[in-house]
Amino acid sequence: MNTVLSLLTRSLALIVLAWYPFAATAQEKTATSGDAQGYAYAAPAFIKELDTRYPAQPPVPPSPPRYGGVLHFPATVRAFDPMAGYRPELALVWDTLTEWEATWYFPEVQRTPTIRKTLATSWEMVNPSTWIFKLRQGVRFHNRPPVNGREMTAEDVKYSYELLKDKAQYSTRAALVKTIQVVDKYTVRFELSMPDPRFYLNVVDSLSPVIVPREAVEAPGGLAENPIGTGAFMLKEFSPGEGALLVRNPSYYLKDHEGRQLPYVDAVRLFFTKDPATDTALFRTRQLDLMRVSTLDVLYALMKTVPDLALYRVPSFGWGDYGVSMALDKKPYSDVRVRQALSMAINRDVVAEVINRGDAALYGPFPWALAGYTKRADYTYASLGPNYEHNVKKGKELLAAAGYPNGFDMELEWAEFQGWTFNEFAQLVARFFGDVGVRVKLKQLETSTWIAKAAGVQPFTHTLAAFSPIGAGPSFMDWVYLRYHSSFPRTINREGISDPKLDDLLTTWRLDPGEKRPAIQRAIWDHLRQNVYRITTIVPPHYRIAQSYVHAGANPYCWFPGYCSYEAKTAWMTEKAPSRKFEKFAQ
Amino acid sequence: MRTYVARRVLQGLLVLWLVSLAIFSLVRILPGDAVIMQLDQAAAPSPETLARARQELGLERPFLAQYRTWITGALHGDLGRSLITRRSVTSELGKRISLTSHLAVMSIVVALLIALPIGVLSAVKQDTASDYLARFFAVLGLSLPDFWLATVVITFLAIWVQWIPPVGFAPLWEDPARCLGQLLIPALIIGARLAAVSMRMTRSSLLEVLRQDYIRTARAKGARERAVIVRHAMKNAFIPVVTVIGQQFSVLLGGTVIVEFIFLQPGVGSLMLDAVLLRDYTLIQGAVLFFAAVIVVTNLLVDLSYAWLDPRIRYR
Repeated sequence: MNTVLSLLTRSLALIVLAWYPFAATAQEKTATSGDAQGYAYAAPAFIKELDTRYPAQPPVPPSPPRYGGVLHFPATVRAFDPMAGYRPELALVWDTLTEWEATWYFPEVQRTPTIRKTLATSWEMVNPSTWIFKLRQGVRFHNRPPVNGREMTAEDVKYSYELLKDKAQYSTRAALVKTIQVVDKYTVRFELSMPDPRFYLNVVDSLSPVIVPREAVEAPGGLAENPIGTGAFMLKEFSPGEGALLVRNPSYYLKDHEGRQLPYVDAVRLFFTKDPATDTALFRTRQLDLMRVSTLDVLYALMKTVPDLALYRVPSFGWGDYGVSMALDKKPYSDVRVRQALSMAINRDVVAEVINRGDAALYGPFPWALAGYTKRADYTYASLGPNYEHNVKKGKELLAAAGYPNGFDMELEWAEFQGWTFNEFAQLVARFFGDVGVRVKLKQLETSTWIAKAAGVQPFTHTLAAFSPIGAGPSFMDWVYLRYHSSFPRTINREGISDPKLDDLLTTWRLDPGEKRPAIQRAIWDHLRQNVYRITTIVPPHYRIAQSYVHAGANPYCWFPGYCSYEAKTAWMTEKAPSRKFEKFAQ
Repeated sequence: MRTYVARRVLQGLLVLWLVSLAIFSLVRILPGDAVIMQLDQAAAPSPETLARARQELGLERPFLAQYRTWITGALHGDLGRSLITRRSVTSELGKRISLTSHLAVMSIVVALLIALPIGVLSAVKQDTASDYLARFFAVLGLSLPDFWLATVVITFLAIWVQWIPPVGFAPLWEDPARCLGQLLIPALIIGARLAAVSMRMTRSSLLEVLRQDYIRTARAKGARERAVIVRHAMKNAFIPVVTVIGQQFSVLLGGTVIVEFIFLQPGVGSLMLDAVLLRDYTLIQGAVLFFAAVIVVTNLLVDLSYAWLDPRIRYR
């Protein structure tokens, strides 16, 4: 009977648990953003509160920093091996020749991206096809066999570029490196296959080849089992699917702006979480110190239960927009009037409301900042033009003019993607297209198939709901030149855009040494927003939250340690941080 | 008996070979491949670069050549290297098998501790309040999906008691306290659902046995009711229960993916799901072969246990 009673008690508890969220939802009509009890809230008031309390630029942390502690944050790393695949977190272990001083997520700094000199200390353009890089002296690889802390030299740079430049994950940046020569122990010369007056931007961050030691690559198990680099942290334990433990490199060469040795923390523990409920539970129990939050709803719930958290609400440069790619080689999508009509059919305010309760910015053909719009106040319909404004009547007229007065049938392919709401987006788009007479058949894909289609490896039938193709840095080359120039295959130019006038503009930009580039970029923007080769809608901001005892904002422009290695190097924790061991991952 | 076991082992080997062929073929029919799945969204490789990457992974070799290399290695205990992590599949599987085995055994123990006493009680006290209550909770257990229960439990544990099971698996023999702290809650969630099935099976099976002639005979001889149930009825009633538990154990080895995800306890199930999503062919093949082997062995053990439970059963 006791067992029965115990079961009864447990079950009653479960019923209470089950009922609780619904009870909270029931408060929706009366709850406000200041309501500390409920999870339901008035989103506009909350967004207004965020605008006031959390300006885009995070506060500068106090000085001096405190050394020690173990920093915990979530990540997605499937292989700690630069040979196998790219992840920004690899920059904790392996350095590139340079890295971004300021993240590109702030339009104010985008126009003049600053570069931190890591392994390279200076560079010189001999001519647009020949570049010379001087290397930092005295940089040592991690002191582990078989490399045993030997010095990194120009031979390592040559070896790494030759090894990695044609790998799929690095080829965006490094493919145009034709040859690399060692001039002396600390100098390398790059010969390019085509002129690039801004080549120095191609060696920044971990989408460019990282520098690896030959001995580790050639040892049994390769870099996967000998993860040795020059980075601020050394990989101590990697448990696929679970997490990783990295400890500080005691002989790291970089110092902070006041000359203090980096990094400040003793270790970094990464958690490879896959479910938002896990992330939030880990954060609430102080097992995560920092995390990204994907939606305003989750942010609200966390701010209510962890009221002292620090929030950085960062406008997205362009990553994570919601858009629709069209098969431009097929009718009716080859007709600009049809593309304009479809774009006009979408009410982007409603998309923002449904995707993230209204907390999102309008998004155009490519990042605003690259077109010279450096203030958030510029992110308006007026700047985008009539093709982006909701206008069903005009859309119907354009379709009629294009020969489709009764609309047409369309298949819209989409997939679930962790952390994003493509389901709702696809349904909304179908509904809006229906307003101008286009009959949409939604086709859900398995995620891997969708990724293959978004990567241009497989064709899509008519339209594909997906993120716009992106770049890794504030580089017009990554975001625009590669994605819109007709000389590139579908794996780079997803829609197969082929427009001679656009090609001319892009080539002019490519060959310009720099003075006229801003004007050419604006001209390309104007051309693209007129031709609507890809329908773009909105992009939600990034939310980064941190526990009150963490300072990870030494660089006010970087928003997440995993995405900007300098943040992990300069993060530090106060004495209020939980005491943690770092002998092994499971502690 | 020996002939029977030998025949079953040979049948099992044939099944494993067919499974290896089927899985090796099926994963290659899936659209996409490991090269595409590893690409960052910002990467923009040319088709030639992608083809070279496939060549490096050996994905462009003829089907039979790839199969021959893999099956030869498997026969020597080498399941190859993961296409994603570049680590040995055997070592990747090793830790996950340990975690999954811990979770499966603990869940089964939880399920049995709940199901057997309640199932027996429910059968013995048929159509009483205890029986109705037990059946109500059995239906409730079947109706609550694992993923929902796990999400609710982890969320409210974090909010109410500021504690959730620790992340980072430690085997029972290395750190018993950590192991129990980590796996007990997931095992309770999984076990509660399994218990519902086992409890219903125990009840119905025992009810059927209790109506048999030999039970009536035992009672007529003056045996005490407890002895009738424990000594005469329960052993026979457990044959279908053992079958269900055997099936549940096999399912548990790969079927706890969502609970594994939510509690960040990566077992074989989540390993396999990741491998499928990332098109990590070698890892999928290794994991499926492992599952097949476990299921073949479990089924054999379940069949052999029938003879122990019911001496009337003989194998030829």
